[in-house]
Amino acid sequence: MESYVKPGNQERGWNDPPQFSYGLQTAQGAPKRNLLNKRVPPPQLQGAQSPVPGGAPPSTVHSTPPLNPLAPPPCGVATPPRPCAAPTEHADSPSDQSECEPSVDEVIVILDWALTACRQTVKKQVCDDVERRLKTFEEMWRGGKLSLPVKKRMNVLAEEMKKRNWERADEIHRALIVDYVNEVSQWMVGIKRLIAEARNLGADQLGQTQNQNQTLAHGDGAALE
Amino acid sequence: MSGPLPKGTYKLPLQVDEDFYFILLSYRVCVQPVVEAPSLTRGLLTCIPPASCTGSPESALRPCIEVSGVSAATAREGRERDCSGTGTSALSLFSEAVMATYQEFIQQNEDRDGVRFSWNLWPSSRLEATRLVVPVSCLFTPLKERPDLPPVQYEPVQCSRANCKAVLNPLCQVDFRAKIWACNFCFQRNPFPPSYAGISDVNQPAELMPQFSTIEYIVQRGPQAPLIFLYVVDTCLEEEDLQALRESLQMSLSLLPPDALVGLITFGRMVQVHELSCEGIAKSYVFRGTKEFTAKQIQEMLGLMRPVNQAVQGRPPATEAPISCRFLQPVHKVDMNLTDLLGELQRDPWPVPQGKRPLRSTGIALSIAVGLLEGTYPNTGARVMLFTGGPPTQGPGMVVGDELKIPIRSWHDISKDNARHLKKATKYYEALANRSAVNGHCIDIYACALDQTGLLEMKCCSNLTGGHIVMGDSFNTSLFKQTFQRVFSKDYNGEFRMAFGGTMEVKTSRELKVSGAIGPCVSLNAKGPCVSESEMGIGGTSQWKVCGLSPSTTLAMYFEVVNQHNAPIPQGGRGAIQFITHYQHSNTQRRIRVTTVARNWADAQSQIQHIETSFDQEASAVLMARLGVFRAESEEGPDVLRWLDRQLIRLCQKFGQFNKDDPSSFRLSESLSLYPQFMFHLRRSPFLQVFNNSPDESSYYRHHFVRQDLTQSLIMIQPILYSYSFYGPPEPVLLDSSSILPDRILLMDTFFQLVIFHGETIAQWRKAGYQDMAEEILQTRHPMPRYIDTEHGGSQARFLLSKVNPSQTHNNLYSWGQETGAPILTDDVSLQVFMDHLKKLAVSSAT
Repeated sequence: MESYVKPGNQERGWNDPPQFSYGLQTAQGAPKRNLLNKRVPPPQLQGAQSPVPGGAPPSTVHSTPPLNPLAPPPCGVATPPRPCAAPTEHADSPSDQSECEPSVDEVIVILDWALTACRQTVKKQVCDDVERRLKTFEEMWRGGKLSLPVKKRMNVLAEEMKKRNWERADEIHRALIVDYVNEVSQWMVGIKRLIAEARNLGADQLGQTQNQNQTLAHGDGAALE
Repeated sequence: MSGPLPKGTYKLPLQVDEDFYFILLSYRVCVQPVVEAPSLTRGLLTCIPPASCTGSPESALRPCIEVSGVSAATAREGRERDCSGTGTSALSLFSEAVMATYQEFIQQNEDRDGVRFSWNLWPSSRLEATRLVVPVSCLFTPLKERPDLPPVQYEPVQCSRANCKAVLNPLCQVDFRAKIWACNFCFQRNPFPPSYAGISDVNQPAELMPQFSTIEYIVQRGPQAPLIFLYVVDTCLEEEDLQALRESLQMSLSLLPPDALVGLITFGRMVQVHELSCEGIAKSYVFRGTKEFTAKQIQEMLGLMRPVNQAVQGRPPATEAPISCRFLQPVHKVDMNLTDLLGELQRDPWPVPQGKRPLRSTGIALSIAVGLLEGTYPNTGARVMLFTGGPPTQGPGMVVGDELKIPIRSWHDISKDNARHLKKATKYYEALANRSAVNGHCIDIYACALDQTGLLEMKCCSNLTGGHIVMGDSFNTSLFKQTFQRVFSKDYNGEFRMAFGGTMEVKTSRELKVSGAIGPCVSLNAKGPCVSESEMGIGGTSQWKVCGLSPSTTLAMYFEVVNQHNAPIPQGGRGAIQFITHYQHSNTQRRIRVTTVARNWADAQSQIQHIETSFDQEASAVLMARLGVFRAESEEGPDVLRWLDRQLIRLCQKFGQFNKDDPSSFRLSESLSLYPQFMFHLRRSPFLQVFNNSPDESSYYRHHFVRQDLTQSLIMIQPILYSYSFYGPPEPVLLDSSSILPDRILLMDTFFQLVIFHGETIAQWRKAGYQDMAEEILQTRHPMPRYIDTEHGGSQARFLLSKVNPSQTHNNLYSWGQETGAPILTDDVSLQVFMDHLKKLAVSSAT
């Protein structure tokens, strides 16, 4: 799952907070650190709980560094600054590290396979509607209107569909629409519907068409070449 | 009946888990313990009152005092006379040890039951309770997340007495041989139902086990109803905002549960109710935005009427299957068409002349939404989600006219009684909110605009129904987008963090009555033996309705001790409270969560010091602040501040150690050490000060303050300030101008804002680390805070400077000699001055 933090929209929103990717928001298992919820009692009152003989003020109250505050930091400690005015993308998705672009044909073949499988049971109007959106998706891809991360994640999504990991595919669809809604809002609902309908199908319905499609796909590939 | 029962009737804990000993002991107080207390615990733990298990609190306390080497009488004298001698050090030794254990106890109770009490020992008479200033009260989080609490799949067993109906719980006395249990609230003896025939002391149902002081039952009656989300969308937006909103709404369709019902109402000058179908033909019903319709009319016009004989005032009985409705359809059926419909949403086509505001019929749009749900799905979990980019400008509920030259009301206008539409609009929205609450539906308001949008008038829609309010500058901001997205966030089980149609009921033992609640709820007007005549917050009832709940929704509950002065400490030595929360889980199951808690009674005359150590200053600060904010809704600001001040002075007089008329002798014990500081910051907070805030902003801040849990509420009262430097790990520092040093990065969390402040010299050699923490806060906070990254001398440093205690100002700069910290340009009093006055007033013999 992609993890990044993008700066907020400072043009429109005053002190807009940074935007966290779906992957970061849903990441679980990361041990939650302690919340910042400690407070220091004011010095005048702190004396009350454990008075120090001799009336010396408690030394920890201000937590002021004992050194000259203007002195430079101890050398060798400082790490290069991380800019924070505009939190940078720190993408760590393995799929993002490779530069090669996935093939649109491979993705489309899988989606078409699922759609064909659905046509056996699902209402025609719904299937046509899904098909229309798959077309839009394909056109946008071929027209260079999709960004690399979207293409890559669509590729992964298609792979998961092929493996019938519907839950995974659905989660990738959610991440895509949360993170790239302006790119995918027109057609993603078709993918969403396709996943929902395909997961209702029996294995036999999916199996048959996959075989047919695989032969078809080879044919397609040959035709393209 | 409530006295100690004969030995052997009870199951006693055979193995003692260290994590659980508090529970075990605290629930078995009137049982003669078989297990020796010292063997369970470490050192002083056994002596503190909540853990005491040997009958009267008096006897439980004695060993404790002996440990510290001072008798109770000496200790009391020490408090009054001498605060620097050996008495004090013994006392402070005592208090430190007990404090540590109390903190553990408080934390455990919060984790397990979602409860934080102001006092963890209760004064045994009404008179003594009033003398303690802070009422016996608690913050209660009914649906606190409990990953370790699997719900049970049966119904709760209730007390058979008609006006009691308390639920069987670990505090009840059980006779396993006779198969009878005694209600710990009314002492009624109840036979177990037939399904409990196999019960014995080695075979107990979960609800009798001490670790199930909070238990959740799944009870399924009637057909399962899907969740309902009704979007009410303002189209009088700029194109950029509308585009962002369209996308967010389209995105949300992927986040909703697939079988949820969804509906769409759009409004501008007219109100359109969209029919949703899979057929691809867009059809909508258009209403004029100026004419008010009754619920019946709306239902007639939308064709929602049932055959005449069944329609009883538009509200069919809940058990009947809901009529199918073209306006509310399952997401999985209409997602594609709705995506198109949303994508094609146009800006309101009516021209807006120069110098005018667009005509926005928010009032009618909301009333149609409420009427639609009322007619189709009463008593079923539903969210009306209002997205608006400006104030209502026509029809009922209008907040400002369409003439731009007349600005929307300010606090100044309101104080001069010059806000023309305020009362009428508020009344209109209150009526809508109450109708919605009766039906069990909640209303969210997402208001994104640079100017005010009328939250002051509309806030009741969310405040009375438990809906969210989110206030942002534009729909095209990550603040809105992510906050909206997180409304649909899921918990550790993959279930939505939202619950619907909650009712919360309180049972108290005889010496206590419930005075009221403050939170996002309405009264259900349930009278009964537990209801106090004196009201605090929303009172006069023992049941409240909370239509929308999240795991952090927290109610403040206030109680009255009714035991008479000089009457003996109530039998059994402890009082009990039971909270019974019925709600619809987001997976549509009906559930009941029952939390039963108990605390020891203490004689406020002989055991005042123990009561003092049982004080939870954090909970108390929030509980008193909620009372203050509740008052601020109806009283003048200065009156509320004066009331708070009086309470604080009285508390300090009661618990401070001092010599009369000698302010320098004044001391507060550790259990109260932070409390005056909380009150100082509360006085300056936007919850009580309206200066520099618009009426909408004040409404927004107060909305969140009266619903968040203790930790978040406390952040709102006194922001958290952490320092990141080279001299050690990040550490909390005083929220004081002296903490602003050149070689530090400060992280301040005010709940609504997250401020990163770079000290003067640190800007050149920043060290990372604080960002992780900042990210974590940004990722978990709902709504998202604004994020302010600034530095020494930066204009936005004002967010920090306005919150820290101004101990150094331009007025006293020179008296500080060497310049440390950052002087604040303000004439506000500092905490030091505030404390000096407080001490003077507290020790004064005149008051």
